[in-house]
Amino acid sequence: METNLDTIHIFKTNIGDQDPNCPVRQKLNAHSDIQQWSIDCDDVDCVLRVVSETLMPETIIDMITEFGHECQELD
Amino acid sequence: MFIHLLFYLCKKNIEMRVRDVDKEKLVIATAIDQIVEEGFQGFSMNKLAKACSISVGTLYIYYKDKDDLIQKIGAIIALKFFTGTIKNFSPTMTFEEGLWKQWENRADFTMKYPKEVAFFEIVKHSPHGEAILDSIKEFSDFRQIMKEFIENGLRNKEIVPLTFEVFWSIAYGPLYTLLNLHTEGKSMGGKPFTLTKEMMQEAFKATIKALKP
Repeated sequence: METNLDTIHIFKTNIGDQDPNCPVRQKLNAHSDIQQWSIDCDDVDCVLRVVSETLMPETIIDMITEFGHECQELD
Repeated sequence: MFIHLLFYLCKKNIEMRVRDVDKEKLVIATAIDQIVEEGFQGFSMNKLAKACSISVGTLYIYYKDKDDLIQKIGAIIALKFFTGTIKNFSPTMTFEEGLWKQWENRADFTMKYPKEVAFFEIVKHSPHGEAILDSIKEFSDFRQIMKEFIENGLRNKEIVPLTFEVFWSIAYGPLYTLLNLHTEGKSMGGKPFTLTKEMMQEAFKATIKALKP
């Protein structure tokens, strides 16, 4: 089934760490409200893409900044 | 009350993200152009978004990253190619008739979509190639049809048994060499070149002669 576009949230971050076990990745992996996520480490904006039907962008930003990373929504 | 509800629905509709088919087409066409011109290395999501006058965020709604984009576009082209190749073709045709249909269909596709073909050539030789083919369920059908066609030719003694790669290079090599020259618009020594139906038939006759028992 095609993903509802409104459930996709895009952020500019500075998560350059590619370690699959880094804390922020572990948190994203473990979150039950996140259906899918990815970080494009090749891009200058280290774009984080989160698919979640329930989470608001602000909640996701708080989740990322908690680990000391920068995170802001990309329009 | 009704007016309020209407206003609410309209507002909600404006806020909702709607799939813009024209924009998607523009993104795909621009990505093909950029990759054909600069290869994978020079290509970036940022550059693509800028060239399409859309925000980077919008681009990431549709694609997870550069690899995802390349694979999705590759899959669209591959599917278009398979569908075009088997148009009006049947594996039960006589070998000569069927191979000529293949030649015609493949030549039509290359002449109609030269950029897509160039893009697919780049992708095919990269690690994305396998991932793309694996992602298209129609690919196994296509392979099965082509396998059946060759098996029929062998069973009916219309072609000589050859190692598959040798068979393929004789059956399609002449066509693709001519198509490459056509795409470049010039042949050996820079002589201007346009592939005609007559030349294709000339090459086809020689090909059939080589494959017949």
